[in-house]
Amino acid sequence: MREGRFQPDGSGSLRVADGGLQLDIDRRTLIGRTLRSATYTVTEVDVSDFLGVVDEPEFAATRNKSGSSEVTASTPDAVRLAPPSFAPFVAVLGLLKTFDWQDDFLFDYRTGTAMFGEQSIEFHRPLRVEESVAIAASISDVYEKQGKSLFDVIEVKFEITGSAEGDRLMSGQQSYILFK
Amino acid sequence: MTEAFSKPFFEDLEVGASLPIVELGPMDRFDYIPIALILRDTNPLHLDRVYAQERGLSDVVQQGPLNQAYLYRYFTSWLHDPWDLVATKMRFAANVFPDDVLQCGGEIVELSEAPGGGGLVSCAVWQRNQDGQIILKGEASGRMPGR
Repeated sequence: MREGRFQPDGSGSLRVADGGLQLDIDRRTLIGRTLRSATYTVTEVDVSDFLGVVDEPEFAATRNKSGSSEVTASTPDAVRLAPPSFAPFVAVLGLLKTFDWQDDFLFDYRTGTAMFGEQSIEFHRPLRVEESVAIAASISDVYEKQGKSLFDVIEVKFEITGSAEGDRLMSGQQSYILFK
Repeated sequence: MTEAFSKPFFEDLEVGASLPIVELGPMDRFDYIPIALILRDTNPLHLDRVYAQERGLSDVVQQGPLNQAYLYRYFTSWLHDPWDLVATKMRFAANVFPDDVLQCGGEIVELSEAPGGGGLVSCAVWQRNQDGQIILKGEASGRMPGR
């Protein structure tokens, strides 16, 4: 068996085994990595398209600015809220903007298979339609697991804040499963 | 696919009690197009049946966040205000395909009273398909008012 490093940071090795090439990547070197910050705007179009699929008949969308009480659209501080069911979309989309599969996860998305693992979210205030949110994320853990096949789990901790006021909107964790 | 819950109050709740089971579906493959646009995800696995079948799947796969959205809607419809949602934790266990019929359900696992009345209710929640296969499994908690 011949071996050689192939990642610039020395996090992986190239192995020739059983007549074929096999890549061994140690993604544990990624733990603690801060991902790039990103923004996402909760657009009227996205929320309307979403509500066209996942209708929310009981959802009162027009509230005061804190989201605590329903108001009419003509009230001065009225804001339109997105339903909480839209939150996973914001987390998934926002997070996808914070990393590059190859550079940050050492993963070739064109040839490999990846899927979402577990997602946990704490909600600090409602999501407003047309607001821009900022996403900050970092890799909190990486570990290998054996299911039907071998895979790595990358856990990403994130915090989403309102871009305008900087207040906390959601925080949590998303894991990604990268098959080997 | 709409459902109306009777809204319980904190005093009505008991640990171990089941939430009402709600059925959703059948799932519609044409819904995957707007969802792909919202997610900026044009992975053919969600849109192209031939591509999915070439990879050993029976049909295109419904997007995971859409499955989650249905479970979120289920739980938040049970709350007095959907934004009384406090936290969620969900794990993907299996894929959803077009024409699947989903069921959502849950069970109260913890109750903690708030000083000003009402309290926090934590539930185990799940989503399964017509064959009883678990699609999503997790926890959700929310504020529930007192009488």
